[in-house]
Amino acid sequence: MNVLTDRRRERLLGYALIAPVAIFLGALVAYPFLSAIYLSLTEKTVGYPAHFVGLRNYEALLESGRFRIVAWNSAAFTVGSIAVKLVVGMAMALALHNVVRGNQFVRGILLLPWVIPTVVIALTWKWLMDLFRGLINVALIDVGAVTGGVHWLGDPTLAMASVITANVWRGFPFFGVSFLAAMQTVPQELYDAAAVDGAGSWEKFWRITLPSIKGVVAVVTLLSTIVTLNDFNIVYIMTRGGPGAATHIFATYSYELGIMSQRWGLSMAASMASLPLVALLIVAVVRYLHREEE
Amino acid sequence: MRGATLARWTVLALILAIVFVPMYWIVATSFKTGRQILLSESVYVPRPFTIDNYVYLFEESRFALWIRNSAVTALASTVLSLAIGTAGAYSLTRLSFPGRRTFGAIVLITYLVPPGLMFIPLYRTFIGLGYTNSLGTLILAYPTFLVPFVTWLLMGFFRSIPRELEEAALVDGATRLQAMVRVVLPLAAPGLLAAGLFCFTLSWNEFLYALIFIADDSLKTLPVGLSEFVVSDFAFWGQLMAAAALASLPVIVVYIYLHKYMVQGLTAGAVKG
Repeated sequence: MNVLTDRRRERLLGYALIAPVAIFLGALVAYPFLSAIYLSLTEKTVGYPAHFVGLRNYEALLESGRFRIVAWNSAAFTVGSIAVKLVVGMAMALALHNVVRGNQFVRGILLLPWVIPTVVIALTWKWLMDLFRGLINVALIDVGAVTGGVHWLGDPTLAMASVITANVWRGFPFFGVSFLAAMQTVPQELYDAAAVDGAGSWEKFWRITLPSIKGVVAVVTLLSTIVTLNDFNIVYIMTRGGPGAATHIFATYSYELGIMSQRWGLSMAASMASLPLVALLIVAVVRYLHREEE
Repeated sequence: MRGATLARWTVLALILAIVFVPMYWIVATSFKTGRQILLSESVYVPRPFTIDNYVYLFEESRFALWIRNSAVTALASTVLSLAIGTAGAYSLTRLSFPGRRTFGAIVLITYLVPPGLMFIPLYRTFIGLGYTNSLGTLILAYPTFLVPFVTWLLMGFFRSIPRELEEAALVDGATRLQAMVRVVLPLAAPGLLAAGLFCFTLSWNEFLYALIFIADDSLKTLPVGLSEFVVSDFAFWGQLMAAAALASLPVIVVYIYLHKYMVQGLTAGAVKG
């Protein structure tokens, strides 16, 4: 009898303590999200009530040339950023691995870009890339590499690479430190055994290091892909999606439709456009993290 | 072996330079005069250097107000998120009830939903509630990502505290709630502090929601204030970089303390990039 009431009490306390989380996330995540899906199926003009239009907003998006550019840009921005972050992050981790002296300090410095506000980073890169007075152009002209300033943010073909650069600068330390932490858990015996077999550094990397840390690499890549695909700050501040639509990505496009033009149905549809992919990525992360827990 | 060592130091030096140069550019610019910036004089090292840009921020701009708004928002949303998240994390790690695993999964999923996807839906919801353009809007909006974060982070901390300590308290006649407050929470104090500091940093740095939900000039937060400097003119880069340096300072101080937790959190998948 006593045991039963104890168990009931525990259950009640369990629900009571999780209730605030459930209510909060229900009201300000689940509800907005579900109503967004509904609103993406309606059209609302100022002064009239919203009416149901089915998938027309999505059709309109798919038919619009601008949306296609946005989808393509988002893919380029994400794939480009992640690929470079993987390479630079891995180089950083390998360079720091097994360095004993000053490791903590150097790692501390290298993580700074990841700590300071993204807005600061975006503004700083905008200023670094300034056509006439930015450090990059001034230095390039000083060493004689170019004769006139390069239009880093004004040239449609360069602008995407430029915003990717700022995004990589912010994000690669997270990759590097995560990889490094994973590398430090790989048993030294594996490397010793490989050394006996005559394996070189390159072989050790491909045969031991990479397979041992692939779980962390996968989680970090997935997490970063979710965030990068829906990035807003860097592009909004550096180029506002321009020149033209050369760097326009999902979130800046939803902003344009919803906040600038007040076309709510369409902007909801644009917000939800990356959802299928994001949902897949989230499922993958959740499965990975649960597997590691067990 | 020597070749490998040389390669290692080259890579390290290169990466350090890449990280260092933009940060140096912030600080260097912040000490330049308007003339030096406009005419590209003493580009690499400001000579002579001036603190006019910093003085300007406090005497002639709304910088102090932005700091106040950011601090109020960050502190309030941190306290709110810690309160809600701590209770939730305890429930999900220490108490057994039907649906617990589902709640755990929901928390993780909501944690992973990116703000870039949520800002329009959330904005519509706040419009529906008639509650936009107030610091309170942000104080309610930030916990949408902070609560799942705190819950997820603290679940790890709570798991590392031996159950036996709590069970001993229960045997001594404490109720479950007393055991939580008197035994588990004090032991989890470093975790709570780390979670709180993380929340503060995330709120302090937040830009998108603050940009969309706040229209009133006097309610703008620091990142939004900074972003609007740029519309003015290029001649303001000196003041802007001074503001950028000052805006980064609190989170750098917090980070010096948080560093070790951050690395642990990274590996646990609790902190995302």
